[in-house]
Amino acid sequence: MTRTPLRPLARVIAARQSGQNPDAIERENLRMRHEEQRDKLRFRAEGRLFVLGICFFCAFVVIGARMGHLAASVPAEPTSSGVAELISASRADIVDRQGRVLATNLSTHSLYAQPPLMVEKERAAEELGKIFPDLDVDKLKRQFTGKRKFVWVKKKISPEQMQAVHDIGEPGLLFGPREMRLYPNGKLAAHILGGASFGREGVHSAEVVGVAGVEKQFDELLRDPARAGRPLELTLDLTVQAVTEEVLYGGMKLMNAKGASAVLMDAHSGEIIAMASLPDFDPNNRPRPLTSGDQSDSPLFNRSVQGVYELGSTFKIFAVAQAMELGLVNPETMINTKGPLTWGRHRIRDFHNYGNELSVTKVIVKSSNIGTARIAMDIGTKRQQAFLESLGFFEPTPVEMVEAPTGKPLLPPKWSEISTMTISYGHGLSASPLHLATAYASLLNGGTRVYPTLLKQDVKKAGPRVVSRRTSERARAMLRKVVTEGTASFGEVEGYAVGGKTGTADKPKPRGGYYKDKVIATFATVFPAHDPKYVLVVSLDEPVELTGPEPRRTAGWTAVPVTAEMIRRVAPLLGLRPSVEPGAEAAIVKASN
Amino acid sequence: MSYLEYNRETVPTGFSKVLYVNWALVVLLVAVCAVGFLMLFSVAGGSLSPWAEPQMKRFALGLVMMFIVAMVPIYFWRNMALLAYLGSLLLLVFVELFGDVGMGAQRWIDLGFMRLQPSEVAKITLVMLLAAYYDWLDVGKTSRPLWVILPVLIILVPTALVLKQPDLGTALLLIVGGAMVMFCAGVHWLYFAVVIASGVGLVTTVLASRGTPWQLLKDYQFRRIDTFLDPESDPLGAGYHITQSKIALGSGGWTGRGLMEGTQSRLNFLPEKHTDFIFTTLAEEFGFVGGVSLLVLYVLILAFCIVSALKNRDRFSSLLILGIAGTFFLFFAVNMSMVMGLAPVVGVPLPLVSYGGSAMIVLLGAFGLVQSAHIHRPRGRG
Repeated sequence: MTRTPLRPLARVIAARQSGQNPDAIERENLRMRHEEQRDKLRFRAEGRLFVLGICFFCAFVVIGARMGHLAASVPAEPTSSGVAELISASRADIVDRQGRVLATNLSTHSLYAQPPLMVEKERAAEELGKIFPDLDVDKLKRQFTGKRKFVWVKKKISPEQMQAVHDIGEPGLLFGPREMRLYPNGKLAAHILGGASFGREGVHSAEVVGVAGVEKQFDELLRDPARAGRPLELTLDLTVQAVTEEVLYGGMKLMNAKGASAVLMDAHSGEIIAMASLPDFDPNNRPRPLTSGDQSDSPLFNRSVQGVYELGSTFKIFAVAQAMELGLVNPETMINTKGPLTWGRHRIRDFHNYGNELSVTKVIVKSSNIGTARIAMDIGTKRQQAFLESLGFFEPTPVEMVEAPTGKPLLPPKWSEISTMTISYGHGLSASPLHLATAYASLLNGGTRVYPTLLKQDVKKAGPRVVSRRTSERARAMLRKVVTEGTASFGEVEGYAVGGKTGTADKPKPRGGYYKDKVIATFATVFPAHDPKYVLVVSLDEPVELTGPEPRRTAGWTAVPVTAEMIRRVAPLLGLRPSVEPGAEAAIVKASN
Repeated sequence: MSYLEYNRETVPTGFSKVLYVNWALVVLLVAVCAVGFLMLFSVAGGSLSPWAEPQMKRFALGLVMMFIVAMVPIYFWRNMALLAYLGSLLLLVFVELFGDVGMGAQRWIDLGFMRLQPSEVAKITLVMLLAAYYDWLDVGKTSRPLWVILPVLIILVPTALVLKQPDLGTALLLIVGGAMVMFCAGVHWLYFAVVIASGVGLVTTVLASRGTPWQLLKDYQFRRIDTFLDPESDPLGAGYHITQSKIALGSGGWTGRGLMEGTQSRLNFLPEKHTDFIFTTLAEEFGFVGGVSLLVLYVLILAFCIVSALKNRDRFSSLLILGIAGTFFLFFAVNMSMVMGLAPVVGVPLPLVSYGGSAMIVLLGAFGLVQSAHIHRPRGRG
């Protein structure tokens, strides 16, 4: 910046010559410079003011325009849709196949306290202690008199309790509405439903979240507001489930078993009509998981789905059916059953000695381990594995429960020839009762694979074929004979042509080897055998029947009579009418003549 | 030009000062307050109690205060600026420690006859100190970084105290009001550009922080932003005010339903009808015409202030007038925007109209400063 000098020499000299005071020149210049500066400043300030003015003006225009816009608008009352949605976004009901309620919601109240609003804190705590004996009065007193502004007292209270709390007359005790999950049938289908608890909790509502079973599996679907309260339909039948559980419970007590399970499945669709596991629990008040001991003894443990057991001789029909399918044998083929069968260090024995030879049908009817093992040897390891895999024994069941993936079958780490032999009669491979029911349904319904499901669906997907119709029919005929003339003679239920296979497997010790006096007794059935509709698998854990001279543990004495009773009670509920078997008709005609 | 430079002889003294008061501005202020009385009267269902009468008493008090302040020479106020600023800081600290809690915030000091909100006082003393600062500062240094940081600190200290109460609306008003004085004082525009840019960045960060552990705003503040963006999302909860006031404006139409005919406010649809949301009553009862009329009154007040500031060659006076006018502008612009759903609900009253003691008295006192600057403006040469 060039500055004009305040005392320009020329002017100063000129002024001196003319006798003027040169200081006046300096003053004059100083004043001019000041004014120049001030003008610049003023100019800038005015520029700034102009910008500010424009901003103000814009704001006025916007506000005025908005005012006009609103004045011109038609006032509309707000709709409460948004709020209503928040409240109604409650959990959908769960119903059985006939629409009967298995799980629903109940409006209830939570009780909380706001100590700053409370008048008589000590008295309130004592009164609360009288209404809810489980509350810790001293702790409440501390919470009420402390610095806390909010205290949860009870998460769920009944209307009577609510009235009692009202009667205390304490303004600092407040109620919040909340929904709770209610299982009106109590313990019924406890393992399938699982249970629910509160998720995020607020004063005005609390989120109900599924913690196990179907409730957890379909948690998002049940909470989906888009479903608009449409209930979740299960394949279960409430009445059949109730009878199944009742008979199973009675049978478990009668046979002195420590646990039991039952799976009743539609043979063609894989729909689970009833599924029970004992001991059970009440999902309204779900117990805590065991902190010590074997989780598989917990009431929460679903033996039907999560429990994997060696299922014993019930497996024999798979080897025999596969051999027939492959054309290796027919029902009349004679099999060498001379025992014991020695393979390396292993010896395979039968329960009784059945002589040197049995027909294939008799191998099943008498339940010969040796005969089955010989048939399995003919089939070979590779083909046996492929067949068992096609029946679903290599993967957890795909049933719609969160617990299903934990029911993973235990396969031998190295599938040697001896494995092939023992697996053919149900040892060396552990699977859940639901696996067995699924495989029986697939094998016996005419030979198409079914997938177990709890979800009622209109569209039935046809699974791949596992055996031919003819093989399926022959297998059923053999199983029918097991009941009429074999190990399951107690299994006969007049009019329902039960066919089935028993299985008694020694329980493995935790450190290897097998118990001599602890078994899993299983009876896997199909009925009616000539027109397969349902598959029922009943399994008892450590049963022992004590009415005889010595304790009897085999399935024929334990699981079979329980199953028969179950079918007797359940079949009419399923809409099955007692019918006469096609084969038996001739005999009746003859007799009446 | 500093105050000492002008000729004292030309400045009115004694009772003659009354003649030099900016009477047009006084009339405008009284008119706005009168609108307020009318609305409070109407909101109370045609009754002077409980709101209109106390408001009038406070108005009288405020008017007296305005004239007293106006009669005191402006240089006295300039010399008092730093003291006043420090005093208001003390009040803010005091309210933080001992204040009454009202509506979820610690904002009030109970003086017995009225409740004082120190943040109201701080708005004015902040503007005073900034004006005095730029009057004292050599003009050439205005844009030097060091001399910019100092006024920024002057703004931020009370802002931080107010934010702690917490009162987001007043905090924003303090920042923007202070920035306006700095802008008028001629601080280089690049500073403002940088601050605005980083402000936008900060807003983005704050919004992004939601739900994370280091969440920067309280949940209710986020909810206000939510309802601002979509009031229909919660028409009975946080969006209640906005929805109801929109209905009021809509049902008022162009000419309104007539005095005391407003349903929204009369039927108690609006809980804050006599304070922050009083504009809805006006808009419902007098329609668009009434609303724009009030807006015009405000605009005229602003215009008179700006003209007075332009004519005033004393730097302190001019900046002070602009600062007070700017603060006043922010008050009603933010309030109206908020009522009409243009801005989030931040709890700023409609100046001179909303029921509320300290705001009115402080504002009238501030206009006393404007009058003082006007009366004692340098006259004479150039």
